[in-house]
Amino acid sequence: MSIIPNWLYRLSSPKNFYRFAGTASVWCSWITLILVVVGLYYGLINSPPDYQQGDTTRIMYVHVPAAWMSMFVYMVMAGSAAVGMIWRIKASTAVANASAPVGAMFTALALLTGMLWGKPMWGTYWVWDARLTSELILLFLYLGYMALQSAIEDRETAARATAILALVGVVNIPIIHYSVEWWNTLHQGATVTKFDKPSIHISMLIPLLIMAVAFKFYYLSNVFQRARCELLEREKDKLWVRELLGEKNSE
Amino acid sequence: MNEASPGAAFISVLRRDLMLAYRHRAQILNPLLFFVIVVSLFPLGLDPEPELLHTIAPGVIWVAALLAAMLSLDNMFRSDFDDGSLEQLLLTPHPLPLLVLAKIVAHWLTSGLPLLVLAPVLGMLLNLGNESLFSLLATLALGTPVLSLIGSIGVALTVGLRGGGVLLSLLILPLFIPVLIFAANAVGNAGAGLDITGQLAFLGSLLALASALAPLATAAALRISLN
Amino acid sequence: MRPKQRNRLILAIVIVLFVSISAVLALTALEKNINLFYSPTMIVNGEAPKDRMFRAGGMVSDGSVQRDPDSLEVSFRLNDEANEITVKYTGILPDLFREGQGIVVQGKLAPDGSVMATEVLAKHDENYMPPEVEHALETARKMGVADAEKE
Repeated sequence: MSIIPNWLYRLSSPKNFYRFAGTASVWCSWITLILVVVGLYYGLINSPPDYQQGDTTRIMYVHVPAAWMSMFVYMVMAGSAAVGMIWRIKASTAVANASAPVGAMFTALALLTGMLWGKPMWGTYWVWDARLTSELILLFLYLGYMALQSAIEDRETAARATAILALVGVVNIPIIHYSVEWWNTLHQGATVTKFDKPSIHISMLIPLLIMAVAFKFYYLSNVFQRARCELLEREKDKLWVRELLGEKNSE
Repeated sequence: MNEASPGAAFISVLRRDLMLAYRHRAQILNPLLFFVIVVSLFPLGLDPEPELLHTIAPGVIWVAALLAAMLSLDNMFRSDFDDGSLEQLLLTPHPLPLLVLAKIVAHWLTSGLPLLVLAPVLGMLLNLGNESLFSLLATLALGTPVLSLIGSIGVALTVGLRGGGVLLSLLILPLFIPVLIFAANAVGNAGAGLDITGQLAFLGSLLALASALAPLATAAALRISLN
Repeated sequence: MRPKQRNRLILAIVIVLFVSISAVLALTALEKNINLFYSPTMIVNGEAPKDRMFRAGGMVSDGSVQRDPDSLEVSFRLNDEANEITVKYTGILPDLFREGQGIVVQGKLAPDGSVMATEVLAKHDENYMPPEVEHALETARKMGVADAEKE
């Protein structure tokens, strides 16, 4: 008996993962499209304005899911990089590498929408409080990960070196999440991700959650697609890639 | 079997690195000169009004210290890598994190400690005031070892890469930001007569965490880079 | 114990020791609460820096906002339910600025103990609800107060 279930073990082989990711990516894209349309309809048109912030609060439907994803993607990236390093699973490393640009995009989006929201509400685009600063550091960590990965030519070495960097950066994640509680920040406290009842009205919570799920599926479809490219490149001399190309050519 | 104990190995690596540094004095001096010159450029570029200098002094000194640390870090494993002695280090039977720690301590003694000696002079040049000098020394004493510790991870990851220096700053400077924030904030607050034990405790916490984990991460990174 | 095992044990003990020292120090630091801003009570007690920019945070006191009719000058009072300070500011206030709202101002302490602000930032809370709901809540709160007074 192994700790890893049999189906997962089989999935971790590059060939099977390639096939699985291809199908999953298509499905995830469609789900993303539907959820984004529904979520934006509810968020931008069919939800009430806030009692204090009016219509500006609608930035929340992009900002909050993007900020959640920026941290979630980092955890996935560090976790799968660690798994890839310890058990030498190529598919896992490919997922980690594919996550970095998507995560950086979400972080940049969260910062950008936050700035657009901050100007009318707080009265400033940017303030150096703990939440904003730690989110900016997160963006730098993603960029550093990508820079290190592209600087090392040997892919095996690159994978393990970036895994160490990603794990060192994990320290930042709890700091981002708890910064609003530990310090008196200008950024307000958590609304949904706390143990208490969410302090948001149900008519606004539903579009927010729809958008959050939509972002998750966007990430999945994107990461599967990128991981497929990476696997093809890494395994370009292997038999299964040649067979695959042969199939395509003979069609 | 007649093997040296791990403690003796630690001491001998430390002595060797200090000896090497002593023989290449210019390599230690250059980052320090850089530190002094960067700090003295600010009053020249800005309006040298005493009040303004007093306000920016903590940040300027600390940013210059970060940059000087980046310069000296690049040399931490470079020459050992070039002449192959780094590989010998990896092959010894002693625990690698311990030997790495010896190299980090040697790096701090030759780069961080001299900053502590120079900083009061630069503080006076920037009109920092006596009440801030103690806090400047305290933050440098707690903060510069953290720079050496965290920096060693980055150096180990980039050793042997072309253009490693620029990449190193990309990887390491974001991780230095917390040290910069709390240290500069502590010096500024001390100048205004405020309590700074909170900031110092936070720097101490970073130092304890980095001393426990950075040698392990650096050792792992060296094994990967030299694979 | 073989040397290798002994080394592992020492390593584990050292790590646990250092990580716990780190945690204790971090908790001490958090207790000191390194703030983005000072509360009116801290300013009244003289804890805020004298000749340096700092941030003050609190609630805008009800009925304290006075606008100069000819310019953008405005003065208001900030409270934290225990103490109050006066803030003077010239410029455009953010949308969320209103009486009872939590705000953060950046400025210097004037000799008379008021704060000359160069920047006013509104801090909004983590509650989101439609206006009708807030209206209903407000009514319910008033009813509750009225009920309590009757008793």
